[in-house]
Amino acid sequence: MGMQSDFYQLLKEQGYVFGVLGQVARGQELTTATTILAFKYRDGVLVAGDRRATAGNMVMYDRTDKVLEIDRHSVMAIAGVPATAYEMARILEHSFKYFRRTQLQELSFEGKLRALSKLLKDNVPAALAGTGAVVPIFAGYDFEQEAAKIYFYDILGAEFEGVDYAVSGSGSPTIRGILHYVNTWGEQPLSAMPEEQATVQALRLLTSAAEFDSATGGVNRDAGLYPVIKFITASGVRTMPDAQLKPLFEAKVSRHV
Amino acid sequence: MYEEPYKWVEAVGNRRTYLDEQFKEGAPVVGVTCERGILLMTMSKGTPKLYEIYDRLGLGGMGHPADLEKLRFNLLEMAHVEGFNRSASDVKGGRLVKYGMAPAIKQAFEEVFKAPFIVKILLAELGQKAGKDGFLTINYDGTFEEKSQYAVLAATSAVEQKMAGYLREQSLASFADAVGAAIRTWAVGDRAQRRALDEGEGHDEARTSPDQLATDTETLYAYLRRCIAEKTVECALLDRHVQGPSKYRALGVDELKALLPNELSPLLS
Repeated sequence: MGMQSDFYQLLKEQGYVFGVLGQVARGQELTTATTILAFKYRDGVLVAGDRRATAGNMVMYDRTDKVLEIDRHSVMAIAGVPATAYEMARILEHSFKYFRRTQLQELSFEGKLRALSKLLKDNVPAALAGTGAVVPIFAGYDFEQEAAKIYFYDILGAEFEGVDYAVSGSGSPTIRGILHYVNTWGEQPLSAMPEEQATVQALRLLTSAAEFDSATGGVNRDAGLYPVIKFITASGVRTMPDAQLKPLFEAKVSRHV
Repeated sequence: MYEEPYKWVEAVGNRRTYLDEQFKEGAPVVGVTCERGILLMTMSKGTPKLYEIYDRLGLGGMGHPADLEKLRFNLLEMAHVEGFNRSASDVKGGRLVKYGMAPAIKQAFEEVFKAPFIVKILLAELGQKAGKDGFLTINYDGTFEEKSQYAVLAATSAVEQKMAGYLREQSLASFADAVGAAIRTWAVGDRAQRRALDEGEGHDEARTSPDQLATDTETLYAYLRRCIAEKTVECALLDRHVQGPSKYRALGVDELKALLPNELSPLLS
């Protein structure tokens, strides 16, 4: 008799298969999503992502949500193939809910990290075949350690803790350097920044990524399109509304670009 | 020996008598809709009796803990697989009960060579809009009923009718009113069951009819004060106003203290 708490195992027993091996047809460009970042600020962790999904040099969609709430205290930000990433997010969301409801307790933060690692591992054949590579960031509040934490993964499922920050996606090389510079030689480290300052920093970082990476979408003021920015603290996940992002962007970001 | 129809009927009848006996000491369950959502309430000793099933589904149960646990897992499995394969909007209490739970309970009840499920279940479903909330109750023989404003579980249908009659007359204007009404309704049911037990009349529903028992507020609070000293008040809410998809939350002691009538709240610990 098992613990009957593993939703992913339950799905597999019912014939569900994740990470099917496929081959990309010649000339076929898969849709991918681009720049995501997370860093620790004064009250917890900020996670942000631009809104663009591309296929080769074509913009497929400019309203993609790459920062996905998995439960009340966890967020998965996605870079890579959205089809696979969204499927992973749905499996995780149901797995965490199923665990909580069957076992009458929350899955530990470590357990949540491991669940994503397992999915990435099962997805390796598809990732290597070029049909489903996903390079996510997972951030959440760890109640055992009483701290918000950031982890990033490679396509094989290895997890690494982002002590101060983590980045992923095609625009990440640009902002990784900036994050290192700001965190090391800025007026104050990222972890000391209050929420508003951290938000401005995230907007500037994603705007910089969009400047140098065509696959990253910047802010489109005419369409009212802003990045997705979420905060994780002990009280849960909260999204910064566009109505608050707009004046911050106007005052602290747009005049510099 | 059960190949002959009349013997099978007799065996099922015996089984019904046996099962009725099992619920005589069970704790009633109350479910009621209010502006805040759906409130579920009972009192338990040790094993909890209120559970989260899915984003908008909560469960209250009476009976054997192991049977309740087995059926709870079945419901959880059905709900989550359906929610994953289709969508959360397709996970409906009616479908889970009518096409999943009720047939399984009925089959177990009528297979006289196997053990039946010693359970009664109340499934509460928070509607997408106020006024669309619903309840389903399932008896140990698989029969189920759908209700809209409130639903109760108790040892006998006579006690359930008494509880429903009392609840109908209560004000549910505020959330605190609903909590007060739910715990008094629970007391009406539990007191009627205790009286039937004490008088040794539990076998005959007509004789156990608790119509003569007083239901004035003071009497009920005096009874509840004794119960709270021995048991844990369990209260859960399918909260219409909570952010995110999962609406179920258990009410903590501090929140309950603030909501329960002054006559009872100091007793909670």
